[in-house]
Amino acid sequence: MQLIIDGLLTGGLYAATALGLSLVFGTLRMVNLAHGELLMVGAYLTSVLVVALGADPLLLAIPAAIVLGALAYPVQRFVLTPIMARNADAPVTATFGISVAVQSVLLLLFTSNPRSLPAPYATASVEVFGVTVRVALLIATAIGVALVIGLHLLLTRTGFGNRVRAAAGDSVAAGLVGIDVNRTFAMVFAIAAAVAAIGGSLIAVTYSVSPSGGTSWLVIAFTVVVIGGLGSIRGTLAGALILGVVQTVGVAFVGAQYRDIIVFGLLVVILLIRPQGLFTKAQRV
Amino acid sequence: MTTSAGSGTKPDVLRGAPAGGRRRRVAPAARYIIPLVVGLAAILLADAMGRSLANQGTELLLLALLALSWNVIGGYGGLFSLGHQVFVGVGGYALIVILSHTDLPLPLVLITAALLSALTGVVLGYPMLRLRGPYFAIGTLGVALAVLAWMLNWPFTKASQSYPLPMSDSLGFTELFQLTVAIAVLALLAITALVSSPLGLRLVALRDDEFGAASLGVRRVRTLLPVWAVSGFLAGLVGALFALQQGSLTPTSAFSIQFVLDAIVVCVIGGVGTLYGPLIGAVVVFALRQYTADFGEWAMLIEALVVILVVRLAPEGLWGIFGRLIRALRRGRPAGAVPQKEGTS
Repeated sequence: MQLIIDGLLTGGLYAATALGLSLVFGTLRMVNLAHGELLMVGAYLTSVLVVALGADPLLLAIPAAIVLGALAYPVQRFVLTPIMARNADAPVTATFGISVAVQSVLLLLFTSNPRSLPAPYATASVEVFGVTVRVALLIATAIGVALVIGLHLLLTRTGFGNRVRAAAGDSVAAGLVGIDVNRTFAMVFAIAAAVAAIGGSLIAVTYSVSPSGGTSWLVIAFTVVVIGGLGSIRGTLAGALILGVVQTVGVAFVGAQYRDIIVFGLLVVILLIRPQGLFTKAQRV
Repeated sequence: MTTSAGSGTKPDVLRGAPAGGRRRRVAPAARYIIPLVVGLAAILLADAMGRSLANQGTELLLLALLALSWNVIGGYGGLFSLGHQVFVGVGGYALIVILSHTDLPLPLVLITAALLSALTGVVLGYPMLRLRGPYFAIGTLGVALAVLAWMLNWPFTKASQSYPLPMSDSLGFTELFQLTVAIAVLALLAITALVSSPLGLRLVALRDDEFGAASLGVRRVRTLLPVWAVSGFLAGLVGALFALQQGSLTPTSAFSIQFVLDAIVVCVIGGVGTLYGPLIGAVVVFALRQYTADFGEWAMLIEALVVILVVRLAPEGLWGIFGRLIRALRRGRPAGAVPQKEGTS
């Protein structure tokens, strides 16, 4: 029981970190290899704000999210969208380049030492129904679920969401009916980056971040998205919870040093058996 | 190369192309002779180069060889591998482990290590090569991270501790340089032959139009698997030579993601999916690193920005730009000049 709860809460954190990747993957049909770096930059931005302003890190994650979103917007608008139009695989190389560039900027600014965000609740734990849980993970899960619901509502209940889904479904037709596809795509990327900034800050509160730490978070996020299914925001939450439980239970059986192997092993297995995800209809990948 | 898949025997005859038809099928002899001559010259001159220059030469060639290896699958095959460091690590560790436990001669060990790396490729290839595009990229990245995590805990390879190369097997800078030149030349020749072979044409056809290729009877995994194994073999050689150069390995040095980063950066700058792009890219990146050596991380940042710029503005890379310039110059010449087809794709 303790394990399942721990796993679900870890999954809640994973949902918050994978959401940006899922959004970009689902609507722009592009895998952002720099997603892990978005998480890390978000965490570092928050950390800079914490040093400067001294307020609660999760409160400061909001301005950090806005800043990262504003930084990400032109990247999609002027670099990635033109490349996407040319060749479906070219964005992979471009986002790879961005990932390496961002990593080196982080290294230059913050050295390679891991860093975490100090918060009074970072190491505290509470007992709920006889199960001890980390407060930080509880908060991360709450924020993760809130972000999933918020994004889902944004995509399905608003005019902006309609434009996004129209542009994702058929960008030419969307352009014909007067949707500015380029701006919509850039906005989606900016929102994904903003959500990633919050996810990254949650990582830094719960664990720690480092300039090169984004790589394994990219794989975790991708695993979550693959389990949940391409383009499904709700599937992302389900995928994250499944991964969290499988990982936590797995670690309890084989030991913490195999933590990463469990995630990556699960990714490989899922890709082999059901690469289209567990909750979506069959399609070629 | 995109059009050559359909150019069988007849159309060239009908067009009355003088030599172009044959050139497209089989690479011209110069493509084999020039690398051989350059390689021989480098081997003969190695003694006069001095130790530090020879060591630098080895580093440059390892970068080029790694990029050549990645380019086979990433360029010609269109599969963006983020897992080539697995091959490098397997090759390196295989060499060191075999040398530590047996008295086999070095060339045999080198080939065995590379073969083990290729075998790793075959085993991983069955699941991985079914994946496409970004799924392949992150699938291979996941495998690479899992392998690194495993190596850090595997007692047989001394887990996270350093595994030294036996002293008796270490090579001098000059000898290692000569060995690397020989291997790099042979690798280039092998790739030259591969890309103009039927297998190479099937590979490119699969990359450019999978449905079209499949409808002509090209089987996906069956085509990709041998190419992936060749790529693994070459990257395994890089690992083995890297082990000889370094004198010891740790999981984080041998399975470092830096290897695949380097390979991709070099290939993108030089020209992905071109025969000589990786070589030009390796020279450019290596030179850049010599100049920015004092600035540490700045080098990586500059390289990454160049990669983004190349992808955005000149996706065919330096070799592509070079080829376009040559063709533009040729077009300016009077009619009757032999039309030279660039074998790039």
